[in-house]
Amino acid sequence: MRNRVREQRLQREMSQAELAAALGVSRQTIISIESGRYLPSLPLAFTIARFFDLTVDKMFDPDDKEAGA
Amino acid sequence: MMRFIRPRLRKPLLRGIALLGIAGAWVIGSHTWEPAIVIAIAAAGQTVYRYIWAGEDTDESALQASRADERQKQVGLRARALAGTVALAAAYAGLVITLAVKRADAWPFAVLLAVTGFAYLLGLSSYGSGEPAPEDEVTAGHQTRSPVNS
Repeated sequence: MRNRVREQRLQREMSQAELAAALGVSRQTIISIESGRYLPSLPLAFTIARFFDLTVDKMFDPDDKEAGA
Repeated sequence: MMRFIRPRLRKPLLRGIALLGIAGAWVIGSHTWEPAIVIAIAAAGQTVYRYIWAGEDTDESALQASRADERQKQVGLRARALAGTVALAAAYAGLVITLAVKRADAWPFAVLLAVTGFAYLLGLSSYGSGEPAPEDEVTAGHQTRSPVNS
């Protein structure tokens, strides 16, 4: 499953540590989500999407299998 | 009581107390102090080491410091599951080997095997619903086959 977390974070010129602090998770978790190694829980997926003013389906694309986890 | 202790110190302190328990058991059982003192020093040392380790920026440190997020908790849970599986396998192997060679009592392994197995069943009943799923309102009254079995 592909996601746009990295793209959105870079657009806002945020570091992984800053995003992690804003979302209340660890930097390692941001790294895992960005690389597609970890699929966040539904509440965290909503928190991420809301943080970037996007909907969950815009943030996470289930049809893209390339960077699949 | 744990609320008054800093989260970063809780797990290192608990492990230190567990080691002190072993030191105390040694003193009670053998009436000698020297090994118990060594264990107590090791307990203090590991508490300090684990406290410092808990301040680092890794998944293991976050688990150690009781500040793990959802992914890190999942990592911890998987590690515990692996530890449980290994403990079960080790208890089984110990039981089989001691029964085969008959050179030692087999009952500690049997107890460990029974306790681990019971803990697994307890986990199933605690974390599962423990009862059949209620009928779906839409299909109520109709004969339907489970999609799982079809």
